[in-house]
Amino acid sequence: MSRPQSRLLQTARVAFLITWTLLIAFPLYWTITMALKPKSEWTGTTWFPSKLEWSNFAEVLIPGYGDDGLSFIETPIKDALGPLKDSLVISVGGTLLAVILGTAAAYAISRYRFGGSLLPFNILSVRMFPPIAAIIPLMVMFSTVQLVDSYVALILVYGGLTAPYAVWLTKSFIDDLPRELEEASMLDGNTRLGALTKVTLPLIAGSVATTALFVFIVIWSDFVIAFTLGGTNVEAVSVRIASLTSATQGQLYGPQAALGLIAALPAIVLGLSIQKYLARGLTFGAVKR
Amino acid sequence: MMTVDMRERRPEAQSRSGETAGGAARRQARERRRLSWLTSGPLIVVLLLLLVFPFVFNIWVSLTGWQINQGDWWKAPWIGLDNYQDALTDSRLWGSLLRTSLVTLVCVLVEGGIGLVLALCFAEKFRGRALLMGVTIVPMMILPVVNGFIFFMLFQSDGPVNDILRTDKAWLNDPWSALFVVALSDIYQWTPLMFLIMLAGYNAVPPNLRSAATVLGASRWQEFRYVVLPLMRPVIVIALIIRAIEAFKLFDPVFILTGGGPGTSTETISVYLYKVAFNDFRLGYAAALALVVLILLSIVGMRAVEQVEGRVKSQKEETVDE
Repeated sequence: MSRPQSRLLQTARVAFLITWTLLIAFPLYWTITMALKPKSEWTGTTWFPSKLEWSNFAEVLIPGYGDDGLSFIETPIKDALGPLKDSLVISVGGTLLAVILGTAAAYAISRYRFGGSLLPFNILSVRMFPPIAAIIPLMVMFSTVQLVDSYVALILVYGGLTAPYAVWLTKSFIDDLPRELEEASMLDGNTRLGALTKVTLPLIAGSVATTALFVFIVIWSDFVIAFTLGGTNVEAVSVRIASLTSATQGQLYGPQAALGLIAALPAIVLGLSIQKYLARGLTFGAVKR
Repeated sequence: MMTVDMRERRPEAQSRSGETAGGAARRQARERRRLSWLTSGPLIVVLLLLLVFPFVFNIWVSLTGWQINQGDWWKAPWIGLDNYQDALTDSRLWGSLLRTSLVTLVCVLVEGGIGLVLALCFAEKFRGRALLMGVTIVPMMILPVVNGFIFFMLFQSDGPVNDILRTDKAWLNDPWSALFVVALSDIYQWTPLMFLIMLAGYNAVPPNLRSAATVLGASRWQEFRYVVLPLMRPVIVIALIIRAIEAFKLFDPVFILTGGGPGTSTETISVYLYKVAFNDFRLGYAAALALVVLILLSIVGMRAVEQVEGRVKSQKEETVDE
């Protein structure tokens, strides 16, 4: 089907791929080695750490590490287990909310053209505006019900703001399902609701799981909402990472890189596992495969 | 919303005696509508809460001189349209809008271009393709905050980039080079997404069309230019628009890399909005700015969203996939 490539084109392709991979790898290499560098090598250009220093990871993962003077950082930092837990709670909660609300709405939009083109349009435009524009009113709203800086507030906001992804992604999956399956089930005496729960839902379960992973990554990675709407009671891991940057006691490069890698790991693992659907998700189902 | 009509639980009584065909159709339509509201209602309520309330609230507050040290918002002095008047002549607002547009434009085009080339490179199978693809898309899954931090490290004046270039430039202290680093971090993070979308677009081009071009004696370039590219056009448009929408909200890397500085020279619109509200505590003015941005974005962005929608529909009709 495809013809043999010319030598020149082949060489250019390989050269481009190698260059690109090196460009991609260089920042990653620097971050990984930074997480393993002793303090004396944090600044400056040590390309190869003189020894592997695991204290950076211990600082952010082991509670009380360094309090007994074991650490090489003068003022030991708080471990990041709290933020990791907080991020997990709001990401899982937000994902569940987005997927439940989104899947339900996607069904009506896909099957019954509910809301014509206006509803899906409005849902999509949610993603258009900078969330920061809505933050102050949301803070006021949540403070009147005593929910500022709480799991509930963050789950609600994240769930709502990522729901468009869930709606459009799930809609694209439901669109792929032949409508006849439901009609057949209804001829067999099932109600519409019955057909939905007994036929359609099981068939899209896998797709819904994919959507959930996708939404999870989006929430897990976010910073600005957790930063402004959370803070002390609920501190997302992204917020902790950023606060290590602005710490006045000097840059904590090592622990920061370590925590950054720890935080990135779940997103990378999940992301690679749904690799096929990343493009579809981030284009709201417009691009398939 | 919770009151499901019990009739729905009964089997479809299509053969109910004495019912006209029109009646059955109407009943079906009614049932569909009920199910639609039942399933979409909760989402609509949440979105109204998260969007309409802030919108209305912002309108109110934007007409006041509310500052955080003045206490509750309903006690803030009423100042009419003063905030809007200030916004019109606010050079930081227009500067940040212009800057955000510039960064968005540059980033989206570069990301799209590299993404397309990468997609063509990965179009055919080769040994190690899966592994290399995995590596290529890792950056898009790193947290944007971490991504900002990575570029912060790399571009320190005693950092590795200067070491490679044999310079000692203070990248983040100069307006243009700081903006360049911001753009670079965005390109690093989001080129993989463009690549994935472009690859999907390429794969959706029917192979027989490409081989037909070959049979007709088209060169590789001609095949790409006159067969592949036109067929990929819708996907490319979607990719550029969606990336532009997201890029316009750019906040995290700027916040980490430069905090909008030096001075105000790398402030994006999100960063500026943040600073007015959370550093200057001018909440009334922040609300006015948010609304101005909202209106501008509605004019430009709604058209963009419509485009995406149109593409989604036409794509589905053509069923150019899988």
